[in-house]
Amino acid sequence: MITLGWIRGQIRRRAGRVAATATGVAVAVALLASLGAFLAHSKSTMTQRSVANVPVDWQVETTPTGTGSQLLHDVRAYPGVQTALPVEFGQVTSLSATTGGTQQTTGSGFVLGIPDNYRTTFPAVIRTLIGPQHGVLVAQQTAANLHVAPGDTITIGRAGLTAVKIKAASVVDLPSADALFQTVGAPPGTTAQAPPDTVLLVPAAEWHRIFDPLAKVRPDLVKTQIHTRIDHTLPTDPSAAYSQVLGRANNLDAALAGTGKVGNNLAATLASARADALYAQVLFLFLGLPGTVLAGLLTATVAAAGRDRRRREQALLRTRGATTTQLVRLALAETVLVGAIGAVIGLGAASIIGSSAFGSASFGTSTASAIGWAAAAALGGFVVAAAAIAGPAWIDARGVTVSAARRHVDRSRAPRWTRYGLDLWLFGLGALIFWLTSRGGYKLVLAPEGVPAISVNYWAFAGPALMWIGGGLLAWRIAELALHHGRSALRAVTRPLAGPLSDTVAASMQRQRRLLARGVALVALTATFAASTAIFNSTYRQQALVDAVLTNGADVTVAQAPGAATGPELAQTLAAVHGVAHVEPVQHRYAYVGSDLQDLFGLNPTTVVGAAKLQNAYFQGGTAKQLMQTLAQHPDNLIVSAETVKDYQLHPGDQVILRLQDATTKRYVPVKFHYVGVGKEFPTAPRDSFLLANRDYIAAQTHSNAVGIFLINTGGHSPAPIADTLRRQLGAGVTVTDLTHTRHIIASSLTAVDLAGLTRVELGFALALAAAATGLVLWLGFAERRRTFAIVHALGARPRQLGAFVWSEASYVLVVGLVLGVIGGGLLSQALVKILTGVFDPPPDALAVPWAYLLIATGVGVVAVVVAASLAVREADKPQLSVLRDV
Amino acid sequence: MKTHLDSSTPVSREFTNVPLVRCAGLARTFGRGSSAVVALHHATCEIEAGQLVALVGPSGSGKSTLLHLLAGLDSPTAGTLEWPALADAPLRPGPVAVVFQAPSLLAPLDVLENVALPLLLAGAERAPANEAALAALRALGLDTIATKLPDELSGGQAQRVAIARALAGSPRLILADEPTGQLDHDTAAAVVDALIAAAERSGAALVIATHDHDIATRFTTRWRVADGRLYTNGPGR
Repeated sequence: MITLGWIRGQIRRRAGRVAATATGVAVAVALLASLGAFLAHSKSTMTQRSVANVPVDWQVETTPTGTGSQLLHDVRAYPGVQTALPVEFGQVTSLSATTGGTQQTTGSGFVLGIPDNYRTTFPAVIRTLIGPQHGVLVAQQTAANLHVAPGDTITIGRAGLTAVKIKAASVVDLPSADALFQTVGAPPGTTAQAPPDTVLLVPAAEWHRIFDPLAKVRPDLVKTQIHTRIDHTLPTDPSAAYSQVLGRANNLDAALAGTGKVGNNLAATLASARADALYAQVLFLFLGLPGTVLAGLLTATVAAAGRDRRRREQALLRTRGATTTQLVRLALAETVLVGAIGAVIGLGAASIIGSSAFGSASFGTSTASAIGWAAAAALGGFVVAAAAIAGPAWIDARGVTVSAARRHVDRSRAPRWTRYGLDLWLFGLGALIFWLTSRGGYKLVLAPEGVPAISVNYWAFAGPALMWIGGGLLAWRIAELALHHGRSALRAVTRPLAGPLSDTVAASMQRQRRLLARGVALVALTATFAASTAIFNSTYRQQALVDAVLTNGADVTVAQAPGAATGPELAQTLAAVHGVAHVEPVQHRYAYVGSDLQDLFGLNPTTVVGAAKLQNAYFQGGTAKQLMQTLAQHPDNLIVSAETVKDYQLHPGDQVILRLQDATTKRYVPVKFHYVGVGKEFPTAPRDSFLLANRDYIAAQTHSNAVGIFLINTGGHSPAPIADTLRRQLGAGVTVTDLTHTRHIIASSLTAVDLAGLTRVELGFALALAAAATGLVLWLGFAERRRTFAIVHALGARPRQLGAFVWSEASYVLVVGLVLGVIGGGLLSQALVKILTGVFDPPPDALAVPWAYLLIATGVGVVAVVVAASLAVREADKPQLSVLRDV
Repeated sequence: MKTHLDSSTPVSREFTNVPLVRCAGLARTFGRGSSAVVALHHATCEIEAGQLVALVGPSGSGKSTLLHLLAGLDSPTAGTLEWPALADAPLRPGPVAVVFQAPSLLAPLDVLENVALPLLLAGAERAPANEAALAALRALGLDTIATKLPDELSGGQAQRVAIARALAGSPRLILADEPTGQLDHDTAAAVVDALIAAAERSGAALVIATHDHDIATRFTTRWRVADGRLYTNGPGR
């Protein structure tokens, strides 16, 4: 009965305190549940989104003991296979063509035979650049090497047989050439082979006409692949989907009994997606949990604001004979009340947040998952409530005497953790773990290809977590020490506000230093959380943009068709289009380094850095600007990819002779360059092999100023409409791509994770926590000391004098907390970006600081403090006669 | 009803016949409508300098309400209330000092800082305020505990410090709301001694609310409050 009466009393007489504590619990529950929704939603869509982009699920290849027709029959009969089409591969000795009076001949290559319905069945494999959809399709690089265009004749060299002539119908791009020409059955982890430079695709009937005779004499030069699409009804969790797909492919392998082997593109994609899923989980840990812990701390602080009152109430109950068990039972009843209210409100809020941020109001895709997440979040709320209310009450009931419970200011020794330097130990340990885990060769997520088991280096999480906790305690220590030893400074600082009262205000603050230090630590932790989350998210967005720029080349990129001779003068036409700020012509040629054909880009080093938004991370041994300055020093200077430097053992200053095609003779001629620097990335270039040189030098040496690519800077205008205008204006034969489109299709490591939704949720919660950590906590602190203010008012204090106490405390908590929080946020952001480096591609040159958001968050904190302090002063200025009688 | 002063009341010559506070038809009602509680009915009174008044009556009779009104801490809902001899200056901090029933020292301030606070609130500089506060403590024999915090004091010490705080500003009207309510008999007697001695020394008027008969008998003027009605010359005298 006494418990029910107590609960009724709490609701009636302490409604504000119950509401404030329940709000803290609700924030913790909402954050946990929202993040759970994010995780469940991300995982549920990850499989779907990943498999949707796979051009061909399985490539089942004949072995010497099998035949194509039998293999096709077996694959089609296998359960779950929806479509299977044969693709023939014939190896040729060379391709040659005579154009413009010169003959070009390539090295060995492949001619693929595709059935009529192949392009409609697997539309993502082949992309037409020029010409019709059907007929003899020439791969883009092959067309460039042979200088052929639609209508030109190509001669196919067959080993031991006479050559065959065919007429090219179209020039095509093969976006998934790596998969198409993979070595089927190669062990996992084998270095991927570069796809061949010489490729033709012909109708199946044509292929059989050319290669059936070859199959008779050289069966080793022909093979059949069965390109297969399977049923995509897969588990939503990418890990489970990967295991299932891997198992099914292995099963087919076994069923084929050695007549064929399976190239499992679907599993390869899911392998990457399961790493994404792990990253999502890691992001949940790194970015979400601190927020939840913070919400718990806030709740504890809110509850602690009523701890003095609760202690006095306990003391009164004890003087009237209440036992420890009865006191603990009352505290547990209050915990259940606050926990239940907080859980209901928190889950409701999370449902609304989930539907607005992720488009899903539930906490998972299945009922069990939804119940699981909701229960876990609610349980988290009850744990927070228990830690904030029942725990301290239990400690007080057991260990605090009646007289001690009625004490307001404690002169006892400093907390034990400060004497043992726990804050410094934690911070140091965190820094050590961070250093150990982020050294060279570190990998946060390990998902080896072909192995169902994957792992996360959770130790990495311990580093920033310990630094965060240690930093919070350190903020407490610094704030406490400053108040303890800085009374004269405090007096001087508060003098303008408090006048003759400044010493009294300073004394009051000094003796309440633990209370104020707690507020400072809370504000610092919240600021650290808000700053680190915002900086991390902002840096992620920045790098996603850099990745997109790297892929697309610029805001808008105009790529000329292979063999086109358009000069830089087109730049003027492009620049005239509304919204175009700058056009940077970049030559795109192919050059032989030894026998290796590489992409060569001719640049204007003085203008390309800004125009192509070159990042320092693209280069090795200097900044982008420095490397471009080096390139500009001599006309024949050359920047080479890291892999080429390694392969050819180059040293700075070495002469490199490339073979470039002369525009007049159409022959490849040797051109001398000097190696001066290393490039790791370049917009539109393949990562492993590219060369950068001076545009004018290449033009002079090849007798052609033909430009392959125009990089267009839109100066902040939306790229998509400008790209549309250019497409209309330039017509067919030119490829126009824009950044907006590229960002949607780019395959960065976290494509499948809806980080935007997570960002919105986290930044929103960070603002709410900032307001709560500053305004709510201060206001509750003031409210809890309303008797003190009532006494000061009864002694005759004017509002300005009451304000001197309130504003001095509020300013100290806010300013010191923010300063320490900003420092902590900066450090933690560095640590997070370093640890989560696998998320970024390419790694960032510098952190992106979202000043606008940080200013808003600071503004929210300041406004919350101003509101709380103003309310406190207004409240204190009213006669509080009933409060004065309160014991 | 006009209150007449008891001729035996010891008053300072300087302030004789100059009323410090005067009230007529004073009433205070809390709440509205059917839930309204009338805490004080049409009280009429006059207090002169040097007068020692005991306000007696059971708990909840309206003693504290009357004291709060006289101190200017609350406003009446009816009647007139004036402080003719206290000029236009603010009552607090200044000529009116209040001693509360419950502990009223500020926990984060030490004894000296607590006592000096009203002086600082009145605009005094720190050094003279501290000197005056120390003098007030010395007068009550409390100067040895000047650096202690309120939580380190006994109940009696805390209440005497509150009295020192009330006296430090040399008030002309001291209003004490059951200042001995939470003290044992001996300590209560010592606190009352201190109040009376201080009032006599400074010539201030002292009004003390109490339901302790022994304490009340030490005051030459005794007013009774019952059911919100003030009897200044009736059965309570």
